[in-house]
Amino acid sequence: MLRGSLAIWQRDMQVLRRSIFSELVAVVAYPLTIYLAFGIGMQSYIGLVDGAPYSMFIAPGLITMTAVNAAYNESVWSLWFHRRVQFTVESYRVTPISVSEIVIAKIFTGFTHGLIKGFVVGLVIFAITPFRFPLEHLFQYLLFLIPGSAFFSCAGVISGTVMDKPETIGKVEAVLVMPLIFMSGLFFPLSSYPPSVISWVRALPTTALFEGARRALVAGEMIPLAALQVSLSALLTFVAAVYIFRYKMSE
Amino acid sequence: MHLPPPAHHSMESSDMPTASIVTRSLTKSYGLLTALDSFDLAVEQGSIFGLLGPNGAGKTTLIRILTTLMRQSRGEALIEGLDTRNEGRAIRRMIGVVSQENSLDRYLTARENLELHARLHGMEKRLYKSRIDDLLELMGLEGRQKDFPDTFSGGMQRRLVVARALVHQPRVLFLDEPTTGLDPQSRRAVWEYVRSLAGSMTIFLTTHYLEEAEQLCDRIAIMDHGRLIAIGSTQELKDRLSGATVYEIEFTGEGADRYAALLGSMPCVIDIKQIESKVTVTLECWECLSEIVTALNGAPVRRISLQERTLEDVFISLTGEKVRE
Repeated sequence: MLRGSLAIWQRDMQVLRRSIFSELVAVVAYPLTIYLAFGIGMQSYIGLVDGAPYSMFIAPGLITMTAVNAAYNESVWSLWFHRRVQFTVESYRVTPISVSEIVIAKIFTGFTHGLIKGFVVGLVIFAITPFRFPLEHLFQYLLFLIPGSAFFSCAGVISGTVMDKPETIGKVEAVLVMPLIFMSGLFFPLSSYPPSVISWVRALPTTALFEGARRALVAGEMIPLAALQVSLSALLTFVAAVYIFRYKMSE
Repeated sequence: MHLPPPAHHSMESSDMPTASIVTRSLTKSYGLLTALDSFDLAVEQGSIFGLLGPNGAGKTTLIRILTTLMRQSRGEALIEGLDTRNEGRAIRRMIGVVSQENSLDRYLTARENLELHARLHGMEKRLYKSRIDDLLELMGLEGRQKDFPDTFSGGMQRRLVVARALVHQPRVLFLDEPTTGLDPQSRRAVWEYVRSLAGSMTIFLTTHYLEEAEQLCDRIAIMDHGRLIAIGSTQELKDRLSGATVYEIEFTGEGADRYAALLGSMPCVIDIKQIESKVTVTLECWECLSEIVTALNGAPVRRISLQERTLEDVFISLTGEKVRE
């Protein structure tokens, strides 16, 4: 059933292997710059946040942000490029695989990109900063990172499917994706929000992801409801991504 | 590669019992626009079939339905007896498609492009390896198999697309404008290869180059406004034109004007055109030629030649001269 997905995913990994160095340099540069500029530069002005130095507060969020951003970007641009520029999706569709197999492959590719890049940024932060966490916290953290990457990969597939112009993809990223990430407690604690807004912010799957992932990694604390919210969001966007892609292809 | 035995198609009665592609009342509408209108077609197994039509005639819509990329609004389309509406996967197993767009993967080498296609067709490595070797050699690309398609000329890229469509040994090959944008040498190389495939598989070709259709195709269909308007061999289509015959008469020295006026006054001459010493006359029928020869007795005629009707004449007479958007 998923033979086609596997073939396309293997193709994507083959391409990633070829450009892994340049990809990782680009991926590491962004969160590292943020870490150095905000975490180190602003640390003395901000002091402790939730009882931790500011650089320690933002480190888990930067790893998570790298993973989900990579998942989203890979899915959205890959799907758009293969559909609108290279027409490879068309060439896949005249082989005996289903449309669902194509979209599932693209979701898994985005997801894999997210995990690999998140892992590498984690290693770099671990290597050059004093940020440390007990290894046993990693499993709980992955319970957030894996569905979180899947959620963003599916969201990327939806954007890459419905948007035909590259500038629209850029606008959606600027207006929707980045605010969702930045406003979900990545750079500041949720307690900074006015009380009337907090409940709305907490309802966002990105808040559940970033808040839950941080607590899991730093304190080993598991928030089951947050993990469930992220997983359900991933499942719903997966179903939506497959449906929307199938619908678009049938037009 | 193991291919299943030919399917026994479900045509109950047909004037073409070995038809590989059949459409019956095939219709595709987009809102109020009918792109394909009750289209009936039968393409014989093993033949090279050409589909001609001006831009917007419905060629791409038809090929997209036949290759299962699009669903029809009404009617049916059968490929090797399989219905495009509910046997898409089985159909895609036995067709090869060379689309208008260059859909090669520029991040994979030539060989990797073919390997990916083989894997999508579920071929085993030991089977596709030798098949790909053969195809690369056949297409003259074996020396460039590790290069990326972006570094190829247009002709080489096209040959690679054709090779990709043949990896799984399809029974029906769809070529959608396969030589558009190629130089004459590359075009002829593709023609030669297509010709070499004749008989081993059914080839369904759309093209804007009428010479291409004339050179390659056993039968040609002309469509316009979503409808089939003519079908037959090149000669049969030419024979459909009116019985009018066109001759070119070349005069030596002065006198072409005087004789052109004389010929223009003759009742059997339908049309006359003159460019310097050359006069082109359209006669009602070829029997009128003797009257013309008599009228030209003593004239300084250098040459009288029959102008063959071309497929382009047929195409223009059926679809009109107006440029389509």
